Amino acid sequence: MRVRNRPNSSVEPEAGGTEPLDLLTPQSAAVSAGELRFAQLGIAQFALRSGDPATVHAEIAARVAAAPALLTRAPVVLDVSALDPTPDTAQMQALIEAVRSAGLLPVGLTHGTVNEEALARALELPLFARFRASSDLPAAAAVERKPAAAPRAAPVVGTGSSVGMHHALPVRSGQQVYARQRDLILTAMVGNGAEVIADGSIHVYGTLRGRALAGASGDATARIYCQNFQAELISIAGQYRVFEEHSPDLHGKPVQAWLDDDKLRIAPLA
Amino acid sequence: MTEIIVVTSGKGGVGKTTTSASLAVGLAKRGRKVAVIDFDVGLRNLDLIMGCERRVVYDFVNVIQNECTIKQALIKDKRYENLFVLAASQTRDKDALTREGVERVLDELREADFDYVVCDSPAGIEKGAFLAMYFADRAIVVVNPEVSSVRDSDRILGLLASKTRHAEVGTRRVEQHLLLTRYNPERVARGDMMSIADVEEILGLEILGVVPESESVLAGSNAGTPVILDNESPAGQAYDDAVGRLLGDSLPMRFTEAQKKGFLSRLFGA
Repeated sequence: MRVRNRPNSSVEPEAGGTEPLDLLTPQSAAVSAGELRFAQLGIAQFALRSGDPATVHAEIAARVAAAPALLTRAPVVLDVSALDPTPDTAQMQALIEAVRSAGLLPVGLTHGTVNEEALARALELPLFARFRASSDLPAAAAVERKPAAAPRAAPVVGTGSSVGMHHALPVRSGQQVYARQRDLILTAMVGNGAEVIADGSIHVYGTLRGRALAGASGDATARIYCQNFQAELISIAGQYRVFEEHSPDLHGKPVQAWLDDDKLRIAPLA
Repeated sequence: MTEIIVVTSGKGGVGKTTTSASLAVGLAKRGRKVAVIDFDVGLRNLDLIMGCERRVVYDFVNVIQNECTIKQALIKDKRYENLFVLAASQTRDKDALTREGVERVLDELREADFDYVVCDSPAGIEKGAFLAMYFADRAIVVVNPEVSSVRDSDRILGLLASKTRHAEVGTRRVEQHLLLTRYNPERVARGDMMSIADVEEILGLEILGVVPESESVLAGSNAGTPVILDNESPAGQAYDDAVGRLLGDSLPMRFTEAQKKGFLSRLFGA
């Protein structure tokens, strides 16, 4: 038999003992200059609706002032797809400076058109896959834009169809389900410590014990409906409420939640 | 066909090893060829419960690192000749386990015509627990009637539905069973322990068996005799029922009601 009493905390990778999931760590070199890992990080995205640095600065400064703990020096990815024409390098530099001086730290641009790609290259900023293609918002949002807007990049997902995303398995502690630009319909329970998120409304035909976040991209008309309300937290378009203690008129009842002039309202479903 | 069953829980101390040992013995008692593997590398326990700790020469890590054959490492049970134990290494840590290594060992057990391989998972959701569940066809989630155990079980059920080979390939799902252990009907009746219905409702799964809290579990562990072999003890009988149900028998739940105190015991306050 070979010696089995090797110390537990050997620094060298043991023969045959390399972690199979960690494909990016060089396995041959005993010492490497670093470790390359892919991680999913939550990051804020700011969709610019104005090309004027002063307007942008004022808008962001107000938001940072409203939630300084959350936003001060927070990394942010800028989405310029709503700006027509796409800003040139100098204008973009001014906009980035406006965002930075208002308290956020721009780290890149969202990926969209060829123009945006060229702009990112000129500014030596990384491009991020767009979290939400603002070009394929439903009609209501499109009305705000100039009708003369140039054709945009092909939508990443979504067809504007109103059919939501259906999820039939229980969402358990530690799991997350996200319906991008759609409603989320769950025909099973949502456990404590689980998170269900939708850009549209959330419908839970079961017990909601975890967290539900509707209107995750800011749609204040989104609602949350559930058959048995025992949620830890609900949020609509960023307005949230935690439930340390449930009131008896809501707990275990069919309930809906909506935003009424930026105030989160919850009521039993009649 | 070899079926791989993982016994897991997330939380420690709920009775995974006790359950693994009794399940393996219960299956062997019914004539199946069974191997039970201790995945808790560094905290070897299963051999103690199975009563074969003095016969461990080679262990799971030795097999994975090609230091011995699987035949050399399997310890034949003294009570059933169709039951084998593969002990964990006490001197190594969980990094000694690799996905390829575990897969190879399981494939060799398949080739050796085992009917069942029971994988005794360590607590937690780290590598050892992940590898114990990764190749499973069926999972027994051991849960105590207590909120933190139920929460951890919910997390484990979520991982079983997403982080196993069956889930990744998508051909089928890991069959999930709940085994409620350390159940005390008197305390449930008094309202200071969660009931079967509470646990079933929160986890959205039916219970395979209920093992009552019993002194014979500790006595059996200390003696190296899995409690299922104790025909007198309610816990042993409950385990035997659970194994029967796993194999398709339909048996009523026992030991789930509080004992009515008899006249004499009430008189003497026993």
